[in-house]
Amino acid sequence: MTPLQHYLLLAAALFCIGAWGVLARRNIILVIMCIELMLNAVNVALVAFSNYSLWGTERGQVFVFFVFAIAAAEVSVGLAITIALYRLRERMSVDEMKEMKG
Amino acid sequence: MNEFHPLAFYLIGGAVIACALGVVIFKNLIYSAIAMICCFSGISGIYVLLHAELLAAAQLLIYVGAISILILFAIMLTRHRSGNIDIFFHRQSWAAIPLVLLVFVALAITLGWGRYQASADSLHAGTRQVADVLFNQYAFPFEVVSLVLLAAMIGAVILAAKERKR
Repeated sequence: MTPLQHYLLLAAALFCIGAWGVLARRNIILVIMCIELMLNAVNVALVAFSNYSLWGTERGQVFVFFVFAIAAAEVSVGLAITIALYRLRERMSVDEMKEMKG
Repeated sequence: MNEFHPLAFYLIGGAVIACALGVVIFKNLIYSAIAMICCFSGISGIYVLLHAELLAAAQLLIYVGAISILILFAIMLTRHRSGNIDIFFHRQSWAAIPLVLLVFVALAITLGWGRYQASADSLHAGTRQVADVLFNQYAFPFEVVSLVLLAAMIGAVILAAKERKR
């Protein structure tokens, strides 16, 4: 049986790849995709912990459902903002968006 | 309790990591989106290995079915026409790699080499147990999440349809 630590290492690697994409890439849609990767990494860690839990495995899975709902809300609002910004400026790069700069 | 082959995790996990790296590295956004879809499908396989079959189905439905299509639509709706589109990584992106490696080392030390009181043969919850906890103990958060989804839907419609009024 695969030890719990290997699942956690997979989740950590996935989270860090997503963070790298968020920090390094310019395109705003790719940044949203990488945020989804990071949320998925957290889900993998939650399910792995719950699968090896001593007190039943259902609670970790319930939390993953909440993360699914929040991820769906986040991606819908994020893509709506992206499309609104694209109509306004026709720019898709995060380092070119200076509208909110004080 | 049927057990999966121990090699299955390493195969699927390697594919998931490779696809996630592809999301960041590919220049073409469509390729990145397809790599992301493969990554989400692989994570669904990880859920099956962890005996969370309901979550695997939900992952396929929500991520592979809905969110990926939403992102593909957004990519196709917003074609770049201006700006220096040949630069994919911005100027400070070199600083991201050591930072992320530092975070990974910290996470690996704390999570990967942590000692857990884990049971290898815990009782795996089926769909009935998950639904029982979700709709009894977590009924109020469930309703709050439905409100959040409603607010997000209204917000997305207002944000994306603003231009048409003028």
